[in-house]
Amino acid sequence: MGEPAIEVQGLRKSFDKKEAVAGIDLEIAAGSLAGLVGPNGAGKTTSLSMMTGLLRPDAGRIVINGHDVWADPVAAKAVIGVVTAEARLFERLSGEEVLEYAGRLRGLPAVEARSRAAQLLDVLDLTADAKRLVADYSTGMRKKAALGCALIHNPPVLFLDEPLEGVDPISADVIRRLLARLVSTGSTVLFSSHVMELVQQVCDHVSVIDKGKILATGTTDEVRGGKTLQQAFIDLVGPRAKDEEGLSWLGSSSN
Amino acid sequence: MARLLVELKLRLVANALRSSTAARVSFILSTTFAVLVAIGIFWLLAQLRPLSASVDLTTVIFSIFAIGWLIGPILAFGLDGTLDPATMALYPLRTRPLVIGLLAASAAGAWPVANVLGLLGVTIGLAHGALGVLVALLAVVLQVLFCIVLARFVITSMARLLRSRRGKDLAVFLFVPVFAIFEFLIQVIPRAVSSGSLSPSSFAGVDSWLRWLPPGLAAHAIQDASTGHLADAMARLGLVVAVIIVLGVLWVRSLQRALVTTDTTTGSSRVHNAALPLARFGLRGAVAARFWRYQSRDPASLAYWAIVVVIMFVCSASTIVGPDKHPAVVVASAVFGAAFAGSLHANPVGLTGPAFVLEATALTGRRQLRSYFAGQDFVFGAIAIPLVVGVSFALAALVKDPKEGFVAAAVGLAGLGAALAMSNIFSVALAYPMQKRAGSPLPQQAQGFGGYTVGVQFGTLASVAVAVIPVIILGNLTSNVSPAVRLPVLFGCAAAYGFGLVWLGVRAAAIAAEGKLPELCQVAMRTSL
Repeated sequence: MGEPAIEVQGLRKSFDKKEAVAGIDLEIAAGSLAGLVGPNGAGKTTSLSMMTGLLRPDAGRIVINGHDVWADPVAAKAVIGVVTAEARLFERLSGEEVLEYAGRLRGLPAVEARSRAAQLLDVLDLTADAKRLVADYSTGMRKKAALGCALIHNPPVLFLDEPLEGVDPISADVIRRLLARLVSTGSTVLFSSHVMELVQQVCDHVSVIDKGKILATGTTDEVRGGKTLQQAFIDLVGPRAKDEEGLSWLGSSSN
Repeated sequence: MARLLVELKLRLVANALRSSTAARVSFILSTTFAVLVAIGIFWLLAQLRPLSASVDLTTVIFSIFAIGWLIGPILAFGLDGTLDPATMALYPLRTRPLVIGLLAASAAGAWPVANVLGLLGVTIGLAHGALGVLVALLAVVLQVLFCIVLARFVITSMARLLRSRRGKDLAVFLFVPVFAIFEFLIQVIPRAVSSGSLSPSSFAGVDSWLRWLPPGLAAHAIQDASTGHLADAMARLGLVVAVIIVLGVLWVRSLQRALVTTDTTTGSSRVHNAALPLARFGLRGAVAARFWRYQSRDPASLAYWAIVVVIMFVCSASTIVGPDKHPAVVVASAVFGAAFAGSLHANPVGLTGPAFVLEATALTGRRQLRSYFAGQDFVFGAIAIPLVVGVSFALAALVKDPKEGFVAAAVGLAGLGAALAMSNIFSVALAYPMQKRAGSPLPQQAQGFGGYTVGVQFGTLASVAVAVIPVIILGNLTSNVSPAVRLPVLFGCAAAYGFGLVWLGVRAAAIAAEGKLPELCQVAMRTSL
């Protein structure tokens, strides 16, 4: 395993009396395309928010490319790109403006920001819609624009929360190829998902989280142990379905 | 269905009460206010008994109540969650029981009950005899029913309009004249009453046309019954019932359309600007460029500036239209204009919403945060300064004292400095999530954060009022100095003073925000626009 790009130790977070993240440890090597999988409410978004400096943890340490996120947020934020689950952008800016704005926020000269924005829009297949307001974008277009914003400063580490949720297959393929290309250059990507097929297909590292705890972590092959990742995940998390005998009324044959 | 929806509304209220202390406090304050309004209206209506124009005044009060029901939800409350047709669209509900259920749910709550109890003051103020009291009870119930159906019809129609982005944009502009009418009612009329230019006799004959509208019909029915004209009274109430039925049918049709109309975006907008402006000014320029774009493209931003203008005019309205001219009121207008220019922009995190996270990832230190606040202030100042100065001169011209316009403009400059400084500080200290409620075109504070809005508005107003005192004193001390010397000095000092306040505000806000960015991000993420 290479040098870790993301190190998480003893990360905890509670909301009132509910413990959302119950002390997780994680290590993702540089150049990995890592998946963080778990059922709804497992603590994926909370963990990613803390790793990216958007949510203050109760305890724990997060180091990104050697920079402690909470002790040295300036240096840590400079090396990360973030796409949040909802991919909410500036609705009243056009696609091209929002990418340029993201670049300028990151300190790029305006000319360079515009140039990179145009190239990213082209790769993300958004050039035709570059001058449309983000308010009029579909979910897939928003996700792609949000990814463009996260990539424009060429971050060594990229965090994505449910990047393909609500995205059509064509857009999903564009995003997948872009992530693979990024990782092939040595960058690190960590994304959360509950689509096991996708994670098994694209990730070389996977961590399974449930009830705020990491149940398994390692290479994708190690975690799935010869089974499909879907089956390995169900074995780890445990089936959630209750006894269905009480639903005798349910179904077309019943009245 | 009626029982189910009433129970749903009560359950929602109970759940909201359990959610937070702020929500409980907000509910207690609102209920207390409703009780006070009920007592006040009852007392006011009861006082009309000896007046010859009692039926005219009752008609006016009933009409004002109807207008209140019409514009209240648009201004402040949005559509009650239990009444949003979109939430009912999935269920196989017949329209008639649904309408009855929604009406029953509308009538449940402190404010509808307070309305009925308050309006029952007519049983003392206008009704005479048992028959008069009986008709008064019926008239009050019909008046409140009319108000509810009217409000539901308008709000349901608006909810349909608000389903597309263009429709939402358009609806925001409806807010401005509604706000202007509201401000006129609550600011100008009480002042006219206290100055004596508006008295009970002013309303004599005013109901020559209001009497034919449902509130007037209800009021006159009480008088008819009290004077023994029962047939006339019943005919009038019959007309009110007919209007309620017609409005109900229109509401049903609007509701039927709303239930089967999908959320659509009508077309899309292309922009022609090639690049964001202010490229040479780094992060500050980038932030300013983004805020500048929003000022022209976001209807809410335009509405906020229009509200500032309305407030400035309303503050001086009694002087402009009244017999007595008080030029100093123009200075008060400038103070209020500056304060609202600040307070309406004092929650950029909530107004930006989840997109603030994109900005937050770049705000890595105190220097960047200073650029963030300075960039905003640059844009707000570029709009607010010509606006407040220009309106101050316009008001001074209207009160025929142009010289006062210079003093007001100077006070406005200092006030804007204080307002922007406080807006920066409040945007960190009292950041709160916003939400768009169905039926309300402008974003409002999320439930349970009403106190934050009040705190920001009063805090900004008080700070601006205190901050402008030195400029007002300077204006008074130099009142005998030649204008050629006085006005440039006054302007220069006020501008420098205002700039100094902004400078301090930017620094204070940056220091406060440095350790609070994660919390601000959470506020942004909780916003739903």
